[in-house]
Amino acid sequence: MSLLSVDNLTIGYQTKKGLLRAVDKISFRLEKGGSLGFVGESGCGKTTIGMALMGLLPDNAEILGGHIRFQDRDLVSLTEIEWQQVRGAKIAMIFQAAMNALNPVFPVDEQVKEAIVTHQPDISDSDLTDRMKELFDLVDIPIGRMKNYPHEYSGGMKQRAVIAMALACNPALIIADEPTTALDVIVQDQILREIKTVQQKTRTGLIFISHDIAVVASVCEQICVMYAGQIVETGTRKEVFKSPRHPYTRTLLGSYLSLDNLNDIQVPDMKETPDQLSDDGECRFSSSCAACNKKCAHSSPDWIDISPTHKAFCCNPEMIRRGHGKS
Amino acid sequence: MEKADARTRLLVEMKQVTKAYMSRKRFFARPSQTVLALNSIDLGIEQGEIFGLVGQSGSGKTTAGRLLVKLESPTAGEIFFDKAPINQLKGPRLKAYRSKVQMIFQDPYQSLNPHLSIAETVLEPLMVQKIGTPVTRMEKVVHTLDTVGLSPGEAFCQRYPHQLSGGQRQRVAIARAIVMEPHFIVADEPTSMLDATIAIQLFRLLEEIKSAFGMTILFITHNLAAARYMCDRIAVIHEGHIVEVNTAENIIRHPEHPYTKKLIKVQPGFKYSR
Repeated sequence: MSLLSVDNLTIGYQTKKGLLRAVDKISFRLEKGGSLGFVGESGCGKTTIGMALMGLLPDNAEILGGHIRFQDRDLVSLTEIEWQQVRGAKIAMIFQAAMNALNPVFPVDEQVKEAIVTHQPDISDSDLTDRMKELFDLVDIPIGRMKNYPHEYSGGMKQRAVIAMALACNPALIIADEPTTALDVIVQDQILREIKTVQQKTRTGLIFISHDIAVVASVCEQICVMYAGQIVETGTRKEVFKSPRHPYTRTLLGSYLSLDNLNDIQVPDMKETPDQLSDDGECRFSSSCAACNKKCAHSSPDWIDISPTHKAFCCNPEMIRRGHGKS
Repeated sequence: MEKADARTRLLVEMKQVTKAYMSRKRFFARPSQTVLALNSIDLGIEQGEIFGLVGQSGSGKTTAGRLLVKLESPTAGEIFFDKAPINQLKGPRLKAYRSKVQMIFQDPYQSLNPHLSIAETVLEPLMVQKIGTPVTRMEKVVHTLDTVGLSPGEAFCQRYPHQLSGGQRQRVAIARAIVMEPHFIVADEPTSMLDATIAIQLFRLLEEIKSAFGMTILFITHNLAAARYMCDRIAVIHEGHIVEVNTAENIIRHPEHPYTKKLIKVQPGFKYSR
């Protein structure tokens, strides 16, 4: 039994132009203690997935279909009162802007305590103190700094405090949405290590969302690559990064500058992302795809298995299985 | 990226430049502290090169960029542009300097005025500097928009920043900087807000512009990989000090300062590199 399994999840936003499918028929599963990374460009729907898993979708969003099954419950049908039992206690989130996630007028320890007391109202004072020490220890904040206000913390420490807050109730699943985007490389490196060790120590499930493929590669075992609301390729870290099959994954990897791939940088010819208003089943990447041919222009893509764990969503099975774009 | 061609002269030179910021005096505050953003740095940028300035946040790299475009003045030291000191520039001579030196800012969502159409944004520097006639100015704007990849330029003229994507906005910011055909551009983290696929296209665009117009570029970034891709030479800055200057290849392959080594180590990469 998986910790989390999502089947055919479709989420639409009501816009002036019509219903926009921000997340389109997405399926994935996560085992206990596993880590899954979502990577894609801005606007591909990765944050919407995170918000749906937390029950925090904005008012103009609507779940159009599919199931989110978490610990044998279907989260899609929960009411707001039921959500409050789950949110923070069983599923917790590390938000994108740690700078703004803390309340400036309360000491940091008060804010972490609040999370515990909300879900365990009858916890004794000594248990609470012990738990707080344990948490701050886990994220490497000196105990003496617990009572400081957020402005006395550096950016990295604030992010650690937010991680402590997410861990406060021993959740079974943590969703981290771009937790290091606002930090510089040195602090980013520390925080990523922190998340990885904490996740391994506590055996928590982790969903990690980022636009930075190298960051996702350093944290997650399983990777989902998203484009325009759909998962286009999924597999283990090694499969996706060592032998990427979908043309979009290759574009993404080919345009990423790291110190070890300077020689095979390709400048992609990206067109505008297609509008996600229609539901015609046609390939959304075709206008920017380097491997697009006449045959696949108007056919519908389908999942093509490469290995039991590795599959890609494309119209051209021969190319995907062959593993390169040249014909 | 030929680095062998003989360089003749320094275009920009910073000599013993120090910049201190005072924390503002407030009624209840303790006596004000000074923060040294730059601590007597020496830097020379040669004609026609892309020079990288790499460091983490708070290292003073943006301050250095702002001093060079004279948005701020140094506390001590002297900056030379084309052998002439710029510290004392005022009035018409400062305005003339600004036509030669331009800046591209980090955040395209904040650096463009939402009330101005794209044409007005790019036109503004030409009007301020009184270059050409209204007709030739407009031609120049359309041509520049084409150059930065917003083509056809006419189609973008009447649009507003909110109608453009992040990458397109940054292209407008680049158009605004190059419409004066400056000699020197300071690009302060021009792609840190953008996706990798967009960033790489902008890097290629900056390179094309550089070779087409023969500009010199100071590229400020925290991303060593981007600096290595773009730059001829790189300076690493740490807490207001320049700790190492070398060619881009050498700084990655043979880093000497421990801080540079640390920066290289924490650079995200693929464990399973292809």
